[in-house]
Amino acid sequence: MWVYEKKLQYPVNIRRKNVKMAKYIVTQYGGPAGELSASWQYFNQRYTMPDNRGKALLTDIGTEELAHVEIISSMLYQLTKDATIEELEENGLGANYAQFGHDLFPSDANGVPFSMTYIKTSGNAISNLESDMAAEQRARDTYEHLMDLTNDPDILAPLAFLRQREIIHYQRFKELRNYYLENLK
Amino acid sequence: MNQKIMNYQNYFNQPNVNANPDPNHNMNFNKCMYTPKERPEDLYEAYEGFIRGNMFPDLYNQYKVSKPFDVEPMNEQAQLLTYVDALSFAAHDINLYLDNFPDDRAMIQLYNHYRTEAERAIKEYENHFGPLYVSSNTTNKYPWSWNSLPWPWEN
Repeated sequence: MWVYEKKLQYPVNIRRKNVKMAKYIVTQYGGPAGELSASWQYFNQRYTMPDNRGKALLTDIGTEELAHVEIISSMLYQLTKDATIEELEENGLGANYAQFGHDLFPSDANGVPFSMTYIKTSGNAISNLESDMAAEQRARDTYEHLMDLTNDPDILAPLAFLRQREIIHYQRFKELRNYYLENLK
Repeated sequence: MNQKIMNYQNYFNQPNVNANPDPNHNMNFNKCMYTPKERPEDLYEAYEGFIRGNMFPDLYNQYKVSKPFDVEPMNEQAQLLTYVDALSFAAHDINLYLDNFPDDRAMIQLYNHYRTEAERAIKEYENHFGPLYVSSNTTNKYPWSWNSLPWPWEN
Protein backbone atom coordinates (compact mmCIF):
# COMPACT_ATOMS: atom_id res chain seq x y z
CA MET A 1 0.00 0.00 0.00
CA TRP A 2 1.29 3.45 -0.80
CA VAL A 3 0.21 6.94 0.27
CA TYR A 4 0.60 9.97 -1.99
CA GLU A 5 2.37 13.09 -0.69
CA LYS A 6 1.25 16.12 -2.67
CA LYS A 7 4.75 17.51 -3.10
CA LEU A 8 8.00 16.66 -4.86
CA GLN A 9 10.93 15.28 -2.87
CA TYR A 10 12.97 18.14 -4.39
CA PRO A 11 11.35 21.18 -6.10
CA VAL A 12 11.37 21.62 -9.89
CA ASN A 13 10.92 25.17 -11.20
CA ILE A 14 12.25 25.43 -14.75
CA ARG A 15 11.93 28.90 -16.26
CA ARG A 16 13.26 28.22 -19.79
CA LYS A 17 11.68 25.62 -22.01
CA ASN A 18 14.34 23.34 -23.50
CA VAL A 19 13.14 20.59 -25.81
CA LYS A 20 16.62 19.30 -26.51
CA MET A 21 17.33 18.64 -22.81
CA ALA A 22 13.91 17.00 -22.46
CA LYS A 23 14.86 14.60 -25.23
CA TYR A 24 17.98 13.62 -23.27
CA ILE A 25 16.52 13.64 -19.74
CA VAL A 26 13.68 11.30 -20.76
CA THR A 27 16.13 8.41 -20.47
CA GLN A 28 15.99 8.82 -16.68
CA TYR A 29 12.23 8.26 -16.97
CA GLY A 30 12.09 5.23 -19.27
CA GLY A 31 15.68 4.32 -20.15
CA PRO A 32 17.88 1.40 -19.03
CA ALA A 33 19.35 3.30 -16.03
CA GLY A 34 16.15 5.26 -15.38
CA GLU A 35 14.16 5.74 -12.19
CA LEU A 36 11.24 3.57 -13.30
CA SER A 37 13.48 0.59 -13.88
CA ALA A 38 15.36 1.14 -10.58
CA SER A 39 12.11 1.41 -8.65
CA TRP A 40 10.67 -1.81 -10.03
CA GLN A 41 13.93 -3.73 -9.75
CA TYR A 42 14.03 -3.06 -5.99
CA PHE A 43 10.33 -3.70 -5.39
CA ASN A 44 10.55 -6.90 -7.40
CA GLN A 45 13.52 -8.18 -5.37
CA ARG A 46 12.31 -7.31 -1.88
CA TYR A 47 10.02 -10.34 -1.33
CA THR A 48 12.88 -12.84 -1.16
CA MET A 49 15.42 -10.79 0.79
CA PRO A 50 16.89 -12.98 3.57
CA ASP A 51 16.09 -10.67 6.50
CA ASN A 52 14.25 -7.55 7.59
CA ARG A 53 17.16 -5.25 6.77
CA GLY A 54 16.89 -6.15 3.09
CA LYS A 55 13.11 -6.03 3.01
CA ALA A 56 13.12 -2.58 4.63
CA LEU A 57 15.93 -1.13 2.51
CA LEU A 58 14.52 -2.30 -0.84
CA THR A 59 11.04 -1.09 0.10
CA ASP A 60 12.29 2.32 1.22
CA ILE A 61 14.68 2.93 -1.69
CA GLY A 62 12.13 1.59 -4.22
CA THR A 63 9.62 4.07 -2.81
CA GLU A 64 12.14 6.92 -3.09
CA GLU A 65 12.78 5.97 -6.73
CA LEU A 66 9.06 6.45 -7.41
CA ALA A 67 9.46 9.98 -6.05
CA HIS A 68 12.37 10.39 -8.49
CA VAL A 69 10.15 9.26 -11.38
CA GLU A 70 7.89 12.15 -10.37
CA ILE A 71 10.80 14.66 -10.27
CA ILE A 72 12.00 13.58 -13.74
CA SER A 73 8.44 13.66 -15.09
CA SER A 74 7.95 17.17 -13.70
CA MET A 75 11.15 18.28 -15.42
CA LEU A 76 10.02 16.80 -18.75
CA TYR A 77 6.61 18.43 -18.43
CA GLN A 78 8.04 21.88 -17.63
CA LEU A 79 10.75 21.67 -20.31
CA THR A 80 8.23 20.97 -23.09
CA LYS A 81 4.80 22.28 -22.06
CA ASP A 82 5.18 25.60 -23.92
CA ALA A 83 7.11 24.22 -26.91
CA THR A 84 5.61 24.81 -30.34
CA ILE A 85 5.24 21.96 -32.83
CA GLU A 86 8.12 23.49 -34.80
CA GLU A 87 10.39 23.50 -31.72
CA LEU A 88 9.53 19.88 -31.00
CA GLU A 89 10.33 18.94 -34.61
CA GLU A 90 13.60 20.89 -34.70
CA ASN A 91 14.83 19.20 -31.53
CA GLY A 92 14.02 15.63 -32.39
CA LEU A 93 10.62 15.24 -30.72
CA GLY A 94 8.47 15.50 -33.88
CA ALA A 95 7.83 11.75 -33.75
CA ASN A 96 6.86 12.06 -30.08
CA TYR A 97 4.35 14.77 -30.97
CA ALA A 98 2.89 12.56 -33.71
CA GLN A 99 2.33 9.69 -31.28
CA PHE A 100 1.75 11.37 -27.92
CA GLY A 101 1.06 15.07 -28.47
CA HIS A 102 2.34 16.87 -25.37
CA ASP A 103 1.93 13.80 -23.15
CA LEU A 104 4.95 12.18 -21.53
CA PHE A 105 6.03 8.72 -22.62
CA PRO A 106 8.64 6.55 -20.87
CA SER A 107 11.43 5.88 -23.35
CA ASP A 108 15.20 6.22 -23.58
CA ALA A 109 16.89 9.23 -25.21
CA ASN A 110 16.56 7.60 -28.65
CA GLY A 111 12.82 7.07 -28.22
CA VAL A 112 13.04 3.32 -27.52
CA PRO A 113 10.06 2.55 -25.26
CA PHE A 114 10.62 1.48 -21.64
CA SER A 115 11.12 -2.24 -21.26
CA MET A 116 10.67 -4.25 -18.04
CA THR A 117 13.62 -6.37 -19.26
CA TYR A 118 15.82 -3.53 -17.93
CA ILE A 119 15.24 -4.81 -14.40
CA LYS A 120 17.71 -7.38 -13.07
CA THR A 121 16.86 -10.21 -10.71
CA SER A 122 18.35 -13.68 -10.46
CA GLY A 123 17.24 -15.41 -7.27
CA ASN A 124 20.24 -14.66 -5.04
CA ALA A 125 20.39 -11.82 -2.52
CA ILE A 126 24.08 -11.06 -3.16
CA SER A 127 23.72 -11.06 -6.96
CA ASN A 128 20.58 -8.98 -6.67
CA LEU A 129 22.23 -6.38 -4.42
CA GLU A 130 25.23 -6.20 -6.73
CA SER A 131 22.83 -5.56 -9.62
CA ASP A 132 21.30 -2.81 -7.50
CA MET A 133 24.74 -1.29 -6.82
CA ALA A 134 25.45 -1.35 -10.57
CA ALA A 135 22.05 0.23 -11.30
CA GLU A 136 22.91 3.10 -8.96
CA GLN A 137 26.33 3.57 -10.56
CA ARG A 138 24.88 3.62 -14.09
CA ALA A 139 22.24 6.12 -13.02
CA ARG A 140 24.95 8.33 -11.48
CA ASP A 141 26.97 8.11 -14.72
CA THR A 142 23.89 9.13 -16.71
CA TYR A 143 23.17 12.09 -14.43
CA GLU A 144 26.77 13.27 -14.92
CA HIS A 145 26.37 13.06 -18.71
CA LEU A 146 23.12 15.01 -18.48
CA MET A 147 24.81 17.65 -16.29
CA ASP A 148 27.58 17.94 -18.92
CA LEU A 149 24.93 18.88 -21.49
CA THR A 150 23.49 22.00 -19.81
CA ASN A 151 24.39 25.15 -17.87
CA ASP A 152 20.82 25.99 -16.83
CA PRO A 153 20.79 26.05 -12.99
CA ASP A 154 17.06 25.25 -12.97
CA ILE A 155 17.93 21.95 -14.69
CA LEU A 156 21.26 21.33 -12.93
CA ALA A 157 19.86 21.67 -9.40
CA PRO A 158 17.44 18.71 -9.53
CA LEU A 159 19.92 16.65 -11.59
CA ALA A 160 22.63 17.25 -8.95
CA PHE A 161 20.19 16.25 -6.18
CA LEU A 162 19.21 13.04 -8.00
CA ARG A 163 22.85 12.20 -8.76
CA GLN A 164 23.72 12.52 -5.08
CA ARG A 165 20.92 10.15 -4.11
CA GLU A 166 22.48 7.50 -6.36
CA ILE A 167 25.66 7.79 -4.29
CA ILE A 168 23.77 7.28 -1.03
CA HIS A 169 21.74 4.37 -2.40
CA TYR A 170 24.90 2.74 -3.74
CA GLN A 171 26.46 3.04 -0.29
CA ARG A 172 23.43 1.51 1.46
CA PHE A 173 23.21 -1.41 -0.99
CA LYS A 174 26.93 -2.02 -0.58
CA GLU A 175 26.67 -2.00 3.24
CA LEU A 176 23.85 -4.55 3.07
CA ARG A 177 25.75 -6.72 0.57
CA ASN A 178 28.78 -6.69 2.85
CA TYR A 179 26.64 -7.47 5.91
CA TYR A 180 25.13 -10.49 4.15
CA LEU A 181 28.55 -11.70 3.01
CA GLU A 182 29.72 -11.67 6.62
CA ASN A 183 26.57 -12.97 8.29
CA LEU A 184 24.88 -15.38 5.92
CA LYS A 185 27.41 -18.15 5.93
CA MET B 1 16.92 43.51 -12.99
CA ASN B 2 17.26 42.00 -9.54
CA GLN B 3 20.35 40.12 -8.46
CA LYS B 4 18.82 36.65 -8.53
CA ILE B 5 17.73 37.04 -12.15
CA MET B 6 21.12 38.46 -13.13
CA ASN B 7 22.86 35.50 -11.51
CA TYR B 8 20.53 33.21 -13.39
CA GLN B 9 21.27 34.89 -16.73
CA ASN B 10 25.03 34.72 -16.13
CA TYR B 11 24.97 30.94 -16.09
CA PHE B 12 24.22 30.90 -19.81
CA ASN B 13 27.24 33.02 -20.69
CA GLN B 14 29.73 30.63 -19.13
CA PRO B 15 31.64 28.22 -21.35
CA ASN B 16 30.78 24.62 -20.52
CA VAL B 17 34.16 24.20 -18.83
CA ASN B 18 33.18 21.20 -16.83
CA ALA B 19 31.99 19.12 -19.74
CA ASN B 20 33.44 15.69 -19.33
CA PRO B 21 36.71 15.46 -21.31
CA ASP B 22 37.87 12.21 -19.75
CA PRO B 23 35.35 9.52 -18.92
CA ASN B 24 37.42 8.44 -15.91
CA HIS B 25 37.96 11.91 -14.50
CA ASN B 26 35.62 11.40 -11.58
CA MET B 27 36.53 8.15 -9.84
CA ASN B 28 36.03 9.40 -6.32
CA PHE B 29 32.24 9.22 -6.20
CA ASN B 30 32.08 6.42 -3.68
CA LYS B 31 34.19 5.43 -0.74
CA CYS B 32 34.88 1.94 -1.91
CA MET B 33 35.81 0.07 1.26
CA TYR B 34 34.26 2.58 3.57
CA THR B 35 32.22 1.24 6.49
CA PRO B 36 30.31 3.99 8.18
CA LYS B 37 29.99 4.57 11.86
CA GLU B 38 27.96 7.73 11.77
CA ARG B 39 27.67 10.07 14.74
CA PRO B 40 24.59 12.30 14.81
CA GLU B 41 26.68 15.42 15.51
CA ASP B 42 28.66 14.85 12.29
CA LEU B 43 25.62 15.02 10.01
CA TYR B 44 24.58 18.11 8.08
CA GLU B 45 21.75 20.28 9.40
CA ALA B 46 18.46 19.41 7.64
CA TYR B 47 18.52 22.22 5.05
CA GLU B 48 22.23 21.79 4.27
CA GLY B 49 21.69 18.07 3.74
CA PHE B 50 18.56 18.64 1.69
CA ILE B 51 20.19 20.96 -0.86
CA ARG B 52 23.04 18.46 -1.21
CA GLY B 53 20.77 15.43 -1.43
CA ASN B 54 22.88 13.86 1.32
CA MET B 55 22.87 14.12 5.12
CA PHE B 56 26.28 12.43 5.50
CA PRO B 57 29.28 14.73 4.91
CA ASP B 58 31.77 11.88 4.49
CA LEU B 59 29.69 10.48 1.61
CA TYR B 60 29.17 13.81 -0.14
CA ASN B 61 30.65 14.08 -3.63
CA GLN B 62 30.19 17.07 -5.91
CA TYR B 63 30.07 17.07 -9.70
CA LYS B 64 30.31 20.04 -12.08
CA VAL B 65 28.77 22.64 -9.77
CA SER B 66 31.14 24.21 -7.26
CA LYS B 67 28.58 24.44 -4.48
CA PRO B 68 25.07 23.12 -3.92
CA PHE B 69 22.19 25.23 -5.23
CA ASP B 70 20.11 27.03 -2.65
CA VAL B 71 16.38 26.49 -2.93
CA GLU B 72 14.95 29.97 -3.55
CA PRO B 73 11.28 30.00 -2.57
CA MET B 74 9.22 32.58 -4.50
CA ASN B 75 6.57 33.10 -1.80
CA GLU B 76 5.49 32.17 1.72
CA GLN B 77 3.87 28.96 0.54
CA ALA B 78 7.07 27.78 -1.16
CA GLN B 79 9.07 28.81 1.94
CA LEU B 80 6.91 26.68 4.25
CA LEU B 81 7.10 23.80 1.78
CA THR B 82 10.90 24.07 1.79
CA TYR B 83 10.88 23.50 5.58
CA VAL B 84 8.68 20.43 5.05
CA ASP B 85 10.95 19.18 2.25
CA ALA B 86 14.17 19.65 4.22
CA LEU B 87 12.92 18.06 7.47
CA SER B 88 11.26 15.15 5.64
CA PHE B 89 14.45 14.61 3.66
CA ALA B 90 16.58 14.55 6.81
CA ALA B 91 14.32 11.93 8.40
CA HIS B 92 14.24 9.86 5.20
CA ASP B 93 18.01 9.76 4.71
CA ILE B 94 18.48 8.62 8.32
CA ASN B 95 15.68 6.08 7.78
CA LEU B 96 17.74 4.41 5.01
CA TYR B 97 20.81 4.35 7.26
CA LEU B 98 18.81 2.76 10.11
CA ASP B 99 17.49 0.02 7.82
CA ASN B 100 21.10 -1.21 7.72
CA PHE B 101 22.07 -0.26 11.30
CA PRO B 102 18.96 -0.96 13.41
CA ASP B 103 20.91 -1.00 16.69
CA ASP B 104 22.15 2.61 16.46
CA ARG B 105 20.33 4.22 19.37
CA ALA B 106 21.65 7.74 18.82
CA MET B 107 20.58 7.74 15.19
CA ILE B 108 17.11 6.46 16.12
CA GLN B 109 16.85 9.50 18.39
CA LEU B 110 17.92 11.80 15.58
CA TYR B 111 15.43 10.17 13.21
CA ASN B 112 12.64 10.82 15.69
CA HIS B 113 13.77 14.39 16.19
CA TYR B 114 13.47 15.11 12.45
CA ARG B 115 10.27 13.07 12.13
CA THR B 116 8.49 15.16 14.78
CA GLU B 117 9.92 18.41 13.36
CA ALA B 118 8.68 17.41 9.90
CA GLU B 119 5.23 16.58 11.28
CA ARG B 120 5.06 20.01 12.89
CA ALA B 121 6.07 21.74 9.63
CA ILE B 122 3.52 19.69 7.67
CA LYS B 123 0.72 20.70 10.08
CA GLU B 124 1.66 24.35 9.78
CA TYR B 125 1.78 24.18 5.99
CA GLU B 126 -1.55 22.36 5.80
CA ASN B 127 -3.23 24.87 8.14
CA HIS B 128 -2.22 27.69 5.80
CA PHE B 129 -2.48 26.11 2.38
CA GLY B 130 -4.49 22.87 2.55
CA PRO B 131 -3.71 19.15 2.69
CA LEU B 132 -0.45 17.55 1.59
CA TYR B 133 -1.93 14.17 2.58
CA VAL B 134 -5.50 13.08 1.95
CA SER B 135 -5.53 11.82 5.57
CA SER B 136 -4.94 15.37 6.87
CA ASN B 137 -7.39 17.00 9.32
CA THR B 138 -7.57 19.91 6.89
CA THR B 139 -9.72 17.82 4.49
CA ASN B 140 -12.59 18.28 6.98
CA LYS B 141 -14.03 21.39 5.34
CA TYR B 142 -16.27 22.44 2.46
CA PRO B 143 -15.68 22.45 -0.47
CA TRP B 144 -13.37 19.43 -0.89
CA SER B 145 -9.87 20.78 -0.27
CA TRP B 146 -7.65 17.97 -1.56
CA ASN B 147 -7.61 19.49 -5.04
CA SER B 148 -7.21 23.09 -3.88
CA LEU B 149 -3.38 23.11 -3.83
CA PRO B 150 -1.39 23.31 -7.05
CA TRP B 151 -0.10 19.94 -8.23
CA PRO B 152 3.59 19.35 -7.53
CA TRP B 153 4.69 19.34 -11.18
CA GLU B 154 3.21 22.76 -11.89
CA ASN B 155 5.58 25.70 -11.44
